[in-house]
Amino acid sequence: MMAGKSTDRRETISLRKRFFRITNLLFLVLIGIQFLPDQSANPALSMNVIWFAAGLEVLVLLVSAVIKRQAGLTLFLDIVGFIYVFLILWTLASAKFMWLKESLFPPPGRVFAQFIEDIDKVWVNVLSSLGIIVQGYLLAVVIAIPLGLFLGWKSRVGNAATYISKFLSAIPPIVYIPYGIALLPTFRSVSVMVIFLATFWPVLASTMSGVMNIEQKIVDSARVLNVNAFTMLFSVILPASLSQIFIGCNQGLTVSFILLTSAEMIGARNGLGYYVKNYSDFGDYTRTILGIIIIGIVVVFISFLFNRLQRYLLRWRR
Amino acid sequence: MSKIEIQHLSVDYKEKNSHFTALKDVTFSVEAGEFVSVIGSSGCGKSTLLSVLEGIHFPSEGDVLIDGTPVRGTGNDRGVVFQQYSLFPWMTARKNVEFGVKQARTNMEKKERYKIADEFLAKVGLEAFKNKYPSQLSGGMQQRVAIARALAMDTDILLMDEPFGAIDAKNRTILQELLLKLWEGDGTKSRKTVVFVTHDIDEAILLADRIILMSTNPGRVNCEIPVPFERPRNRAALVQTVEYSAFRNKLLALFYGDIASKIGGDEVVL
Repeated sequence: MMAGKSTDRRETISLRKRFFRITNLLFLVLIGIQFLPDQSANPALSMNVIWFAAGLEVLVLLVSAVIKRQAGLTLFLDIVGFIYVFLILWTLASAKFMWLKESLFPPPGRVFAQFIEDIDKVWVNVLSSLGIIVQGYLLAVVIAIPLGLFLGWKSRVGNAATYISKFLSAIPPIVYIPYGIALLPTFRSVSVMVIFLATFWPVLASTMSGVMNIEQKIVDSARVLNVNAFTMLFSVILPASLSQIFIGCNQGLTVSFILLTSAEMIGARNGLGYYVKNYSDFGDYTRTILGIIIIGIVVVFISFLFNRLQRYLLRWRR
Repeated sequence: MSKIEIQHLSVDYKEKNSHFTALKDVTFSVEAGEFVSVIGSSGCGKSTLLSVLEGIHFPSEGDVLIDGTPVRGTGNDRGVVFQQYSLFPWMTARKNVEFGVKQARTNMEKKERYKIADEFLAKVGLEAFKNKYPSQLSGGMQQRVAIARALAMDTDILLMDEPFGAIDAKNRTILQELLLKLWEGDGTKSRKTVVFVTHDIDEAILLADRIILMSTNPGRVNCEIPVPFERPRNRAALVQTVEYSAFRNKLLALFYGDIASKIGGDEVVL
């Protein structure tokens, strides 16, 4: 009757395709090169790399054993493969052959060791940054979406408001920082305000454009069901413009991270941006690299959750 | 008093520089429990007529009365099926029907609403697909859901705007027979009043008690023709009769005669 989803179908993946992959070979190469003699002046702490890689490989083998879809397995193995290649090149370029300056590019083993030593401090900074993002971002989304629905629906106001919000969303929100500092008491509140503004205008603009581009037939079929204004806005207009709204939400999220880490590097006493900037000022590049990697992981993790949410809420689309 | 009375209805569309008369002085009425088909070629204003009945367009002149009261907007006394986009793509089939029931019968409990939704989805043969989204259903199945919703709302009046116009010929036949069966019922309940817009003559004959033939430019009523066939109707038996062919030919002559007179008579080869 209709095209079945591939998830419904049982796929059989051969043992060779499950366990004899390039990624597994790369793991062995990564472990192997750890036993080459170190050239670096300070200890390279290669055991940490071995432990990390072993942990990752155990995960790889577990996933390989249980995963049902071949496409999912390939994607996962490719991502891990890239991590292995990165660690191999890093190990060779730092500890083993010293192609890079040791003070700026410490070997991976030292960064792992630093992570274990600093784990509490890192966690506090992650939470501090995330707290600010979540607060500013959610506040903006919760206000911008209903306002955008309303303004877009009242098309006469909406037309003018579209231009205004496009103009305002084009201004880099970082320029509001001087006003924030003048008006608000703490660095934290300034950051929340900047993230609020960075998210508010794009979400408002995309919500309004979503509402104004709804298929008129959808609106008519809601009208003939005699829906009231509230139901029209939140049960019809909102879901009908949701995919557009997500465009603004995505933009807001991306810009928020850039802004927050930049702001933290300038004026904060904690947060991930502060962590990186503070230790680079002291010439502690082990911690600087650690901070950069943690920022990457946090951003990837948040985007992953966000994409899952988006896919769930838009699951009705083809 | 008729269920629906359309009195001297005219609808003009005014745009910047142009002025377009979609309907001109249309008058007819529909009795309670009657199935009326409005047919005409595209541009005769039959969909505009229906949208005035739906309450989403308004008369420029004249009026439309339901139970003697002028229509002043949409209302939950009318169920509507469009050609497309009747359903909300973000709701499952079941949720779509339940949403309609909720709008029509405001004080019914949720559990009861879902029970009715399931019942009507079963009537249109979609029990197994009730948790699918419209994008996962074929065009014919989507129209079945739309019909299930309109029937589940249990309104006095059903307004159908070329509901099978975008369906392939085989499925259209199946859907016509389904609608016929559901509307004719088993005689225990009074039939709903239906206004059914189509450009398919066979569809109109099979379904309707009376056919309103419309002319183009401006849209107006050409003539009203009662359909002389007994109910319950059976397509297979009906189309083989001489009376059916004769009636169909008479209707075709009126239908195409109107078009021919518009573009110059003899030159038209049909």
